[in-house]
Amino acid sequence: MTIREIGALLTIFLAGNLQSQDLDLPTDPLDGRIVFEEKKCITCHTVGGYGGTAGPDLSRDQYFGSGLELASIIWNHAPEMNRKFRQLRMDRPTLTEKEMRDLLGFLYYLRYLGEPGSVANGKSLLSSKGCMNCHSVGGQGGTTGPDFRSIQRYSAPLYLVQAMWNHGPAMLDQINKGKMKYPLLTGQNIVDIASYLRQVSTADVEARLSVGNPEKGRTLFEQKHCSTCHVGEGKRKRIEAGLIKIDLKKGVTEVASAMWNHGQAMLDFMQQQSIEWPTFERNEMADVIAYIYFLGFEDKDGSPSRGKEVFREKGCSGCHTPGGKGKGPDLGSAEGIDSPVKMIQLMWNHAGEMEDMVLTQNKRWPLLSTIEMRDLYAFLRRSHTK
Amino acid sequence: MEITRRDFLKLFGGISGAVLLGNMDEVISLPDSWVEKAQHGPRIETWHNTICGLCPSGCGLRVRLLDGIPVGVKGNPVYPVNKGGLCPLGLNSLHSLYHPDRIKGPIKRTGAIAEDKWVSISWDEALKTVSDRLIELRNQGAPHQVAFLGHTEGTIMQRLIRRFMDAFGSPNYFQYASSKNDAIPYAFLQGHSTIPAYDILNARLVVSFGSNFLEEGYSPVYYTKLYSHHDEQQTRYVQIESRMSLTAVNADQWIPIRPGTYGALALGLAYILIREELYDIDFVHQRTFGFEDRKDGSGARHVGFKNMVLGNYYPEKVEEITGVPSATILKLGRELGITRPALVMGGQGTLDNTNGTFAAMAVHSLNALLGNFERKGGVFFVDDPPFTKSDLKFQDSVARDGLRQPSIGRPDARTFPFTQFSIDTFAKRILSGTSYPISVLFISGGNPVFESPNSREVAEALKKIPLVVSLDGLLNETSEHAHLVLPDHHFMERWDEVSNVDSVGFTHVGIQHPMVSPMYDTKHCGDTIIELARRIGGSVGQAFAVASYENEVKEAMKGVYQSGRGAIVSEGVGTMWIEYLQQRGWQIGQYASFEEFWDRLVKQGGWWNPIRKKVRMDQMFPTPSGKFEFYSHKLEEKINFLAKGAENGASPQHRERIFNQLHISARGDNVFLPHHEPVPYDVDMPVHLTTFRVLSMRDGQGASLPMMQEMFGHSIHRHWETWVEMHPETAATYHITEGAWVLVQSTVGTLRARAKISQGIMPNVIAIPFGLGHSSMGRYAKGHGANPYAIMKNMYDMLSGKPALQATKVMISRAM
Repeated sequence: MTIREIGALLTIFLAGNLQSQDLDLPTDPLDGRIVFEEKKCITCHTVGGYGGTAGPDLSRDQYFGSGLELASIIWNHAPEMNRKFRQLRMDRPTLTEKEMRDLLGFLYYLRYLGEPGSVANGKSLLSSKGCMNCHSVGGQGGTTGPDFRSIQRYSAPLYLVQAMWNHGPAMLDQINKGKMKYPLLTGQNIVDIASYLRQVSTADVEARLSVGNPEKGRTLFEQKHCSTCHVGEGKRKRIEAGLIKIDLKKGVTEVASAMWNHGQAMLDFMQQQSIEWPTFERNEMADVIAYIYFLGFEDKDGSPSRGKEVFREKGCSGCHTPGGKGKGPDLGSAEGIDSPVKMIQLMWNHAGEMEDMVLTQNKRWPLLSTIEMRDLYAFLRRSHTK
Repeated sequence: MEITRRDFLKLFGGISGAVLLGNMDEVISLPDSWVEKAQHGPRIETWHNTICGLCPSGCGLRVRLLDGIPVGVKGNPVYPVNKGGLCPLGLNSLHSLYHPDRIKGPIKRTGAIAEDKWVSISWDEALKTVSDRLIELRNQGAPHQVAFLGHTEGTIMQRLIRRFMDAFGSPNYFQYASSKNDAIPYAFLQGHSTIPAYDILNARLVVSFGSNFLEEGYSPVYYTKLYSHHDEQQTRYVQIESRMSLTAVNADQWIPIRPGTYGALALGLAYILIREELYDIDFVHQRTFGFEDRKDGSGARHVGFKNMVLGNYYPEKVEEITGVPSATILKLGRELGITRPALVMGGQGTLDNTNGTFAAMAVHSLNALLGNFERKGGVFFVDDPPFTKSDLKFQDSVARDGLRQPSIGRPDARTFPFTQFSIDTFAKRILSGTSYPISVLFISGGNPVFESPNSREVAEALKKIPLVVSLDGLLNETSEHAHLVLPDHHFMERWDEVSNVDSVGFTHVGIQHPMVSPMYDTKHCGDTIIELARRIGGSVGQAFAVASYENEVKEAMKGVYQSGRGAIVSEGVGTMWIEYLQQRGWQIGQYASFEEFWDRLVKQGGWWNPIRKKVRMDQMFPTPSGKFEFYSHKLEEKINFLAKGAENGASPQHRERIFNQLHISARGDNVFLPHHEPVPYDVDMPVHLTTFRVLSMRDGQGASLPMMQEMFGHSIHRHWETWVEMHPETAATYHITEGAWVLVQSTVGTLRARAKISQGIMPNVIAIPFGLGHSSMGRYAKGHGANPYAIMKNMYDMLSGKPALQATKVMISRAM
């Protein structure tokens, strides 16, 4: 990973304080899988059914969110995890700042990867969505479009969406001519259809995609003129906010389906504006969606004043006193908190020690909500900056 | 420049542990400029990944270089075959690079064989000599008189040689050490010639019939890595073997057995499973053929596997045959039946005898009884790597005529009718003159004059060939017979691929690439062939459009890139993760182009795909019945075909003749069912001779390396010499004491070795390790120890064509 890449996620966390600057993005958000395996997270946690069963499946909805949302979850169940470590006689892993950054980015990205499809659903969807009016499977169906057996084996559902998108205007033309209903896609629809088509295709080579590269996606977002419509006032933060508002923090194919569903409106608008219909090649659509998707990893700004209260109420101030006179270091010192990842990393690494302390002092584990985490970070960052 | 190991250490202080071992100060040869660089260079350290080329096991290697000079090796931790592990031979691969006796350029023999009289010639002269002769043969309409004897070359090299031979017009490309013969028993039962991979990681019980997989298997380091999880997985290992091998030592139970009786014991266990209904009834009834008695289309009744086993292989009978107590058979049979998953493996002990095919069939039948196919903890078959397909034909009329000639190494109906090649057939045909002559023979890798039971015949046959061209980098007993040696690069100087090592449980391609520029005036054997093709010209030259062998490898890998499957090996790319992504249609890498993929592939050392294509159960066994066949139609059809011959109709008499030719003593339906065939041992010889290979020697290559000689018998303190293992009872019978010289005498010859008395071997059986007894192969190999091939009878399993390495009986006595 390059220095630029290493800095990528860090900058995402800092974005709240860098609103006027471009957001740096990772080039491979899956690098965190190496941490996931090497730090033996996989021993207890499963990802989509793969891995240990002692801990929860981290691809489930409840473990999905921005950096500090994840941090809140990890922190709040740290004592439970520590007990598991002891039961399994495992060393509690410590993480460097980079490792924590990669790990959080990886967990966030799991949702993007989507879920496997259902062949049976796919088959029935082809009929119910009207695809068979134009296309056929083994000669059964319409003749306007190609026989699905002769097309590529689209192992990646997004590849199929990309192919549909690219010939969207032609499809729309046929739909309009035939006075057919524009097929809207929801949820897993396209994944199920792709699963069925993969099975019926007779092609030798499977068309797969690399998981998206958000950094490349940003460039493509401009090159493909997406920003012409989505830019608004022309400030990146506004674009990002706009896209987040329409809740694009979903699996890649759900995002793609949303794009497909507003294809008719887009085409009309683009024709009015004389804008060329953008087409995508190779991995381009995956990259663009990865870019859009990753915008949701950024945390909202917290309140330093409320953070100060959290710091006191949760008992942090009991140990972390100014000048480092308490049990813990002064978090406002030069080596203190200068990024959310740093804060999460330090909290994780000293959770074992803290657990012992609250136990021996008959105290409760200080639970932190996402909002409290944001506020706490805002306070600690300000203290550090001072 | 030749320097001592001590000087090498001074030059490159702090090099690998492997180089530091040992008490001797062997000679290391390296170019003068390297010594200069080592003395004055900035000592910049780099690491590069490649694949070990010292044996076919395909381990990933990480090479440490100082100022570009290789100074140390370790296992590549991310390469899935060996996951950072290496055998002693791999750890000493630098010694083979720096071997002082490496051939430093093309040479021509000027004296008699083994006189060691050679002169250096230029590459141009060498290639002209060979290409002129090749052109002459094509002009004479005799391209088929060229033969190529390969060894264990990988898929891409095989494709290159085959393309050359096809374009030239010869049907005579053979691989001396091909594992295809090992697959014949599996083909009879399961319909395809794929050696199974064994999921010992997930099995709860592993029963091995003579498979010393930790030391002698297709990839010992791979299986050692799997075995290393046995404690956490609570897997129980049972090793059935005449000698307590390394695998037996590490097993939970060792069951000694008489050589040549593995099949009988497997059927004894089948008896327990069937009798006590502990087999997988659903699998057997739905997915197998020939289990129950049946009537065929003509109404003739056939005995099924079940009744054949129940009638013939009850424990007391099996005890008589095998020497394994009936109580042990009963206990193991029940354990096999009630433990899930329980896995059964065959191996060298089973295959290396005259009855090897039927014994391996019997062992594999247990997996069918347990319903083990494509199950967790069972057996499975891996897919081929998706290399770019290469089916272009470049054949002119001369080539087409040549290719119509019969292959000189392919056995006929009377001998080894199921095999593509036999070194025995090859040698006998040349010696007898019953076939056309071989005018030019290329030899690449392998050493049949040293490591085959008919080595004398092979040597005589080589003497009859007017032009023998060796492509080896170090002279050995076989290449001593060559007229020309066109030396190949060392594997650390060359491009190549090592893919799908047999019995490794996933599709994989390892990439060898040069760690250093060639130290000497050597040439990649693939480039030698390409250059010869160009000199021959015409359609032969046209067959090689690519500039070099490196490009051949690169072109083949484009198919892998385009397939989108699998992943380049790297950290955090485990099976589960790849499967997770593939299920969702993703591939793991991000590559803007093939060049980017290729650069990363070479840097990391390889590619793998642990996800197998889904195979429906009804398509798993491409046999005539579409099922696992206890009763092998394939075997029956072939024997009927042979029996018909020119005589139209496979009468019982004709079949009887074929059974006799193939040394099959069973009759009736039993012939086509897994059964025990007695081995035709010499009745007047009292002691069984068995052999084994140690990790440091493998097929004898290790003998050229001094450190491997030091390690040869490290566990029993035997170095640089051969030993003979025997049970204390055997030793007492023949008045032999520990360390005494022993004469081992067969009807073929005699050898001398020191006694090692051990409880770890059956009484009346002796075991001698392969590897030593060289008369060539460099200064460290020559003149040490004894070669057990020298006293082995030239016997074979007539079905698989494999040498019957465990079929000789001997007399032993204390040497004076």
